[in-house]
Amino acid sequence: MGEISTLREMRPEAPAAELDAMRMAAREQFVTRTRRAQRARRRWRLPVLVGGLTAAAAAGAAAALVLTSGPAAVPGQHGRAGHAGLVVTAAWTVREDADGTVTVYLQQYADPAGLQQTLQSDGVNAIVRQIPAESVTVGGQTVEYPACNYTAFTDAEPRAVQQAVWTLGDRAAGAVFTIHPEAMPQGSALFLAFLPSVSPKNGAAGLITLKPVVLSDDTVPACVPSKPLPTAAPLPPSGP
Amino acid sequence: MTIDTQASDADLIVASLAEPDLFTAVFDRHSAEILRYVYARLGPDLAEDVTAETFLAAFGCRDRYDGACSDARPWLYGIAVRQISRHRRVEARRLRLLRSALADGPAPDHGDRVAERVTAARLGPRLAAVVAALPRQDRELLLLIAWAELSYAEAAAALGTTSSAVKARLHRIRVRMRQQLGGSNPMNDPMDEENSDG
Repeated sequence: MGEISTLREMRPEAPAAELDAMRMAAREQFVTRTRRAQRARRRWRLPVLVGGLTAAAAAGAAAALVLTSGPAAVPGQHGRAGHAGLVVTAAWTVREDADGTVTVYLQQYADPAGLQQTLQSDGVNAIVRQIPAESVTVGGQTVEYPACNYTAFTDAEPRAVQQAVWTLGDRAAGAVFTIHPEAMPQGSALFLAFLPSVSPKNGAAGLITLKPVVLSDDTVPACVPSKPLPTAAPLPPSGP
Repeated sequence: MTIDTQASDADLIVASLAEPDLFTAVFDRHSAEILRYVYARLGPDLAEDVTAETFLAAFGCRDRYDGACSDARPWLYGIAVRQISRHRRVEARRLRLLRSALADGPAPDHGDRVAERVTAARLGPRLAAVVAALPRQDRELLLLIAWAELSYAEAAAALGTTSSAVKARLHRIRVRMRQQLGGSNPMNDPMDEENSDG
């Protein structure tokens, strides 16, 4: 056994969950500071380059980026093999592989409308919604709890279809899941419900839990918001 | 602009000059590995900040990235090494703690690398002391090979030198380490000393 392999065994390691939490925090630092730098540059350049364009409009235009190499995306059309695309935002990343598989890496619940549109462009008939929360007092402690028991009112596809359409990653923090659009039955929809956590930390806004479910059609219960509403502030996911 | 999911790091970095948000994909690809290395070098208090600083520095100098290098790992490790070097006192303390921890004995391990772990536990405290006493540049190279598990070519790219220079320097480092550890390779049992990999 040589020095190198002995040294390798000595390398201090952190628990995976701790590393993942640190990585998420580092990512937030990185994104925040690069965005701040870009805004500063944009403010400096705006009067010269874009005249009347407002800073807000410019920031919105830079918030998400869609790069594709395939044919124009058709919302709702499944399994466009050969298409490949990458969408990167501060909140989430959506990647479509050449075989049509779509992977979502969720950092924060933010820009649900953008996420829905991106997934639809990648051939996933997706519905992205945050389930409203209500305060419930349990054992003297007030917690946020989903106000809509949507699972009781949705017409979900059988378990075998669920398993064929989406699979979860093994990330401890954040959410990673893979979607196989070609496995979605005709007319079905992938409902991505973001639920408030039942265990808010120190009275602060709770984490968001993601629950994907394949619906037989794109009908959602009346208690689910009709549009993907933005949150007041981006919230971290607790993982599916 | 066309980028597919097979886009290399170089593609993403070059594209990020026009669309800065794309650099986030580089972060997502490599931050876990860089963080793990920084954690090993500096510990939990600085790992998050130094990792963020590493990618911020990379973002700031991405216009100088060599587009011929499809894999950005060596470049990122090179930047991480420079960021780590700004915290020498912390690293020195970290190595002292590592030596103490190893002297207290290994954590229970029932995996298939028991022999390696036992050897590391037996020699760890001395080896940690030797590593701490190495000149900074030698320590950087050694730990890029041992802890970041870079190849000679990758370590050379990270440190801005050649593979042959890395190989020669690493040989000198190992000879020096063995001298400081007692003149022979103490990692081997006497029975197989003849098969030492030196």
